[in-house]
Amino acid sequence: MLDAGLDRMGQHFQLLARSAGQPLVLVFARNWGEPSPATLEAIRAELRGLGAALLVLGLHSLFCFRPDDELEEVEPTAVLEAGVGKLFEQYEVDPGALAAGQLTLCVLDATGRLRFRRTADAADGIPEALLRALQIAGKTAISGPADARDWLIKRREVVVLSLLGALALVLADGCKREVPNAPAPTPAPPKAREFPVTLRVNGQQHELMVEPRVSLLDALRERLGLTGSKKGCDHGQCGACTVLVDGRRVNACLTLAIMVGDKPVTTIEGMAEGERLHPLQAAFITEDALQCGYCTPGQIMSAAGLLKENRAHTDDEVREHLSGNICRCGAYANIVRAVQSARAARPT
Amino acid sequence: MRDFQYVRPKNLDEALEQGQGARRRFVAGGTLLVDLLRLDVERPESLVDLNGVLSSDITWDAHGLTIGAGARNTELAYHDKVMAEMPVLSEALLSGASPQLRNMASVGGNLLQRTRCSYFRDVGVDACNKRKPGSGCAAREGYSRMHAVLGVSEHCIAAHPSDMCVALLALDAVVRTRHRSGARELALGDLHILPGDHPELETQLKPGEIVTEVFVPSSERARRSAYVKSRDRASYAFALASAAVALELEGPQIKSARIALGGVGTKPWRALEAEAALQGKPATRESFEAAARLTMNGARATSHNAFKLELAPRVVVAALTAAGSKS
Repeated sequence: MLDAGLDRMGQHFQLLARSAGQPLVLVFARNWGEPSPATLEAIRAELRGLGAALLVLGLHSLFCFRPDDELEEVEPTAVLEAGVGKLFEQYEVDPGALAAGQLTLCVLDATGRLRFRRTADAADGIPEALLRALQIAGKTAISGPADARDWLIKRREVVVLSLLGALALVLADGCKREVPNAPAPTPAPPKAREFPVTLRVNGQQHELMVEPRVSLLDALRERLGLTGSKKGCDHGQCGACTVLVDGRRVNACLTLAIMVGDKPVTTIEGMAEGERLHPLQAAFITEDALQCGYCTPGQIMSAAGLLKENRAHTDDEVREHLSGNICRCGAYANIVRAVQSARAARPT
Repeated sequence: MRDFQYVRPKNLDEALEQGQGARRRFVAGGTLLVDLLRLDVERPESLVDLNGVLSSDITWDAHGLTIGAGARNTELAYHDKVMAEMPVLSEALLSGASPQLRNMASVGGNLLQRTRCSYFRDVGVDACNKRKPGSGCAAREGYSRMHAVLGVSEHCIAAHPSDMCVALLALDAVVRTRHRSGARELALGDLHILPGDHPELETQLKPGEIVTEVFVPSSERARRSAYVKSRDRASYAFALASAAVALELEGPQIKSARIALGGVGTKPWRALEAEAALQGKPATRESFEAAARLTMNGARATSHNAFKLELAPRVVVAALTAAGSKS
């Protein structure tokens, strides 16, 4: 299986990475340990946040963990062990250090490229150390400055390591399917009902395979890890999922990803320029235009559409033109103020 | 959501072929269909994407307005000629949904909008003749505040939800369609059908027939038109009762009138009696009120929606007053 995988890796890396379509957390550790239910839940939550699956490469064991599934121990077979050995080698992980209680965590993005890497001391328990490293990875992915978010690793390494991501993906793939003593499975053809989709989100291009029923909102949140756009009602009634498609505000929950085509998508994650907040983001903070904050990304994206359309000027008009965004906390008065002050702050 | 196939035809002929079959659905904006897919009310085997097939042009000439079925509600609502020459259409569109939804929703899709009846939308409810022919009507004995009072049958009292259709009805709009068997034109008033014994049938369109254009004739009347909508909140809500009216005046007298109602009918509702009653009358509040009373002739209310019998005529008066004050 590994040989087949390596072969595919060489020849069809693009296809493979695309069909995997999900970030992957690779953990090199002595073993998986025995996480408490609370730690396991916390790990689940972090994985959900990253939209990632977890692959634990132990010295003598292999575990696969998807946030919504049960933990799965994979029977070690010769091919898998060889593959694991190869990853240890390529990622320069020292089994000796692992045996002494260290842990190395790598996050690969949906295309198999290395996005984050951290080696930590796991003296107080591997699950706990894993959780801490995951939390840091999650924070970095969400709040790190753009360049750090982009690369905690030097670019040169990235090029070298990106191919290894594909190998890891092949292994993760194997975890799902490996059955002891079963004949090596033939590589699964792409699902008949999945279509290649190229999404251009916040200036970045993403290649995905999606079923036609996948909404733009789910693609953004679950596949690209862009969880800023919120799922409120999922029926076009609350506006929490508002994003800009081709510069126009739309409900991402009622938009099928497959129908977006090459139109550029802007989400809340694409509003700030580096550390500098968009005037609307800044105004929402200054004017205290939120309480719980759940509707805020949608409010801001909707307000961005409103300002761009330039049809609503008075407070009443702003209220009418933002009526597609419901705020259960009732922060409306301050939302209107924030929109008006952002308009004033904006160079026109 | 259940899985389905997706096809993107390259032209109208291809779309007409691919749209054949009871379990195919056309999609343009998707605001209605994706919602119904997620509710499991619609269970198509495949979607045929009409974006890239339908025209979204809005053109104005000596005869009137031609709207490509793919035009988005926003573009139609803010079109210069629509705002100036047929304000009722712009006002109706802008009273409906939200800016986000209007950016997505197509004109063709809006014509074929499905009811918001909560029992139709809830597959956990067994009795819905529209969703499951012969199963009964949960709304008649249920919560029916939002339901229709005109054009109802013992099998269905679901209200038609569109604002745009009501305005188009008052403007004598014509719907142009294509089918494998040819092209045709339908008066908007003939597009939707009453529930009768078959609430599952909602329009005259044959399976696989595609709305390609809507034509709206220009007229004196269209220029003096208005839409008034009454709803539970100030914005972003379906109508309890709405009225689209258009008046042609000759001096102080009404030469001709159009009155269409929304939120109260099982289809966009034309009030022919009231229109006739206004003809030749002075454009005064008294005439408006007398005519408005006629709009509820034949209405059948439930205990929950009987208030519409009072509300709708008032909305009609408000709309006639608004239109009458336009120059």
